Amino acid sequence: MSEEAVRFEGVSKRFGETVAVRDLDLTVARGEFFSLLGPSGCGKTTTLRMVAGFEEPSSGRISLEGRPMAGVPPFKRNVNTVFQSYALFEHLDVRGNVAFGLKRRRVARPEIERRVAEALELVRLTGRERARPGELSGGQRQRVALARALVNQPAVLLLDEPLGALDLQLRRQMQVELKAIQREVGITFLYVTHDQEEALAMSDRIAVMDAGEVQQCGRPQEIYERPEKPFVAGFIGISNLLPGRTEDGGVRLATETLCPAAHDCAPGTEVQLSVRPEHVVLDRASGIPGTVAERIYVGTATQLIVELDGGARIVALTREDWEIGDRIAVSWRAEDARVLR
Amino acid sequence: MRALRAYTILFFTISFAPIAVVVVFSFNTQRSLQRFTGVSLEWYRQFFESESLRGSLFASLEIALATTIVATTLGTLLAFGLVRARARWTPGLNVLMLVPLVTPEIVAGVSALLLFTQVGLRLSLLTVVLAHITFSISYVTVVVRARLAALNQEVEQAAMDLGATRGQTLRLVVLPELWPAVLAAALLVFALSFDDFVLSFFTTGESPQPLPVRIWSAIRFGVTPTINAIGTLMLVVSVVSVALAVALPRLLGRRESGVGVLLAREAA
Amino acid sequence: MDGNQGGLTGDAFAARALLPGGLWLLAFFAVPLAIVVALSFGTTDDLGGAIYGWYPENYSRVFDPLFLPVLARSVGYALATVALCLALGYPVAYYIARFGGRRKNVLVALVVLPFVVNYLVRTYAWVALLADEGLVNGVLGTSVRFLNTPYAVIGGLVYGYLAFMILPVYAALDRMDPALIEAGKDLYGSSWRTFVHVTWPTTFQGVLAGSVLVFLPAVGDFVSAQLLGGPGTYMVGNLIQQQFFGAEDWPFGSALTTVLMLFLLGWMVLYLRSAARAVRT
Repeated sequence: MSEEAVRFEGVSKRFGETVAVRDLDLTVARGEFFSLLGPSGCGKTTTLRMVAGFEEPSSGRISLEGRPMAGVPPFKRNVNTVFQSYALFEHLDVRGNVAFGLKRRRVARPEIERRVAEALELVRLTGRERARPGELSGGQRQRVALARALVNQPAVLLLDEPLGALDLQLRRQMQVELKAIQREVGITFLYVTHDQEEALAMSDRIAVMDAGEVQQCGRPQEIYERPEKPFVAGFIGISNLLPGRTEDGGVRLATETLCPAAHDCAPGTEVQLSVRPEHVVLDRASGIPGTVAERIYVGTATQLIVELDGGARIVALTREDWEIGDRIAVSWRAEDARVLR
Repeated sequence: MRALRAYTILFFTISFAPIAVVVVFSFNTQRSLQRFTGVSLEWYRQFFESESLRGSLFASLEIALATTIVATTLGTLLAFGLVRARARWTPGLNVLMLVPLVTPEIVAGVSALLLFTQVGLRLSLLTVVLAHITFSISYVTVVVRARLAALNQEVEQAAMDLGATRGQTLRLVVLPELWPAVLAAALLVFALSFDDFVLSFFTTGESPQPLPVRIWSAIRFGVTPTINAIGTLMLVVSVVSVALAVALPRLLGRRESGVGVLLAREAA
Repeated sequence: MDGNQGGLTGDAFAARALLPGGLWLLAFFAVPLAIVVALSFGTTDDLGGAIYGWYPENYSRVFDPLFLPVLARSVGYALATVALCLALGYPVAYYIARFGGRRKNVLVALVVLPFVVNYLVRTYAWVALLADEGLVNGVLGTSVRFLNTPYAVIGGLVYGYLAFMILPVYAALDRMDPALIEAGKDLYGSSWRTFVHVTWPTTFQGVLAGSVLVFLPAVGDFVSAQLLGGPGTYMVGNLIQQQFFGAEDWPFGSALTTVLMLFLLGWMVLYLRSAARAVRT
């Protein structure tokens, strides 16, 4: 069996004048929890739909388990989707919903019963076989959608922002459960979300997308700690992005300060210097001078927005007590700053 | 407010009165339409004994049935296409579908008559059915389309995703959600066809003729209680059809009633 | 390849679904209308058979002083019908919408119920009532000639199309926020002035819709004029009917039909434009 669950080769999708997906080259390994992460309209859902078979690529090739899928309709593909709206069959009960795919494949009756029971147990809905979707809560409906897809043991499970409609607590809980289920059944998950915390928490690898293109693809830690583009740095977590020009050994900011940083650009290139708030060191005197403009308490720490004398604004994280209006100085280690273009 | 209420009551009285009179006098013992002399089924007996009138009743029912079956099928398919297809000529077809709804009946009648005669088709029950179907399709399309547009497309995608072919998806997922609208539309078409006069008048053959055409001819000769009987019978059929169209969807377990389904046409 | 295969949106499938209905309408609706227009330029031969050709005289005949009164009368009767339907129907719609309470839907159903009955039977009912030997004369003990007057015909038309006015007006009234009326009463004092300045303008689109729904069929009606009227009250519908079933002048009848069609089409377009503008504002 192929080690690749899904492979995208030069895949593009155009809708009339709009390019939704541009030159996508990605490989999703078997058994991986792979996320497509990005803001609305970045093309992640379109990509998912192309894998499911609801859209055909305008150009390029998509292969499933090594086999090209051009022209293959959804009902012939060995993938299943968990839709954002769950899309349950309201006129069937839970059992009818979950058994639907198996019935289409003419699986034997006793086998269907067994597998449905297994699937319901997996999503912890045993005992609710006879319930109608209308009687279930949002979280329960979501589990039915999951069971309905998983019971068919597809090569890839496609999930389109499945947790979007749930409240925060339930979402966090489901994230943990989903990850556990994925590990247990070993099926490749292709997961679409705009919530970067969710992606970081659940994925083996993430592809960050914007405007139809993949900006960066890698493991969560890499994406977070070593963003390669300003967009990625800004989208994942909070990042300070300071515009400046490269010089030998560093970046000269608009504040005229020279910040040491590693880069391989020609001198004079316009770049963005990226520093995460948690890496910003605060001091009374040593560093770039500025004033505390805002204080935002976020529970685990306090966010400070510092207005630098040169005009830029920096977000920093601290447990210390600073007041609005305090004079303050910011600095960071050279290795914590990244030069991005 | 009280004046309005009094007026409304008066309004109801006057709007039901003529029909009540027709019904009541259909049971009159004598020929008079002025004095009610007693209850009798004489006029109904005459109706059912008349072979030609019986023939007209069955003709009207057959026409209505045939029209309902064909128009509902064509109209439902058309609704599908209009809601889902992204062909270039979809907006044009949409207009083509809506125009029969606003075409004056006499224009409809004349055009149907011309079509059949110029093509060389003899006027008969068939021509009446063909004309009825033509002007019923739009009603079905409008009613079904409203319901169809409200369906969650992702449910159909889910069915296909799980291995159902297009045909299976239609049968297993769409139809269960769609049939109240289809049923309401079918009953509406039945009532409209059974009641239709102008279109039938222009396209009917010698014999049998649909019931409304018989009424027309009879009235030209003068007013008799037999006409009252025919009118009452027709009234029963119409009212029952429409009542079913409104009540059946609700009775058979759907949330909204037929009124909601039918009036969704306002949105369309 | 750019086809969307989502659900049953598969272009191929949906496009195929369009075919049966679309072709039927084309063949049995669009084509016949074209035939009507084509024949309207034709003429009759000596035996009364129709010949196609280019004889636009039919159209000048339509506006001949002989027939012009009939056309004018049709429009006049239709307008009168609209006015009466509005005057008679608006108050009922108002009462049900404002004071109907929980029984609103039942009341609306009751209003509509008589109109579910066959139009012919309903008109016949009035014939039975108003005939010389009809009920009204019988009860009053008179023998007044009710039939064969414009009043009878207009009455028949009103009775025929009243529901088409009541339903849109009711819908507009029902949609209206009752708070508007309260505010109006505060502002304008009297109920009447509130109606004129608040209720009427708000429901005007509904009134317009109802008027169109009554006017268009009423102009082309021939049933009321035939059963309740006489040669003196003929409308364009009767004229057309005669050409096809009496005078056997089919080309002229077609011309009349085409003129009627265009006339009504013009009003339809005007109405749709006005409705579209109303939605935008």
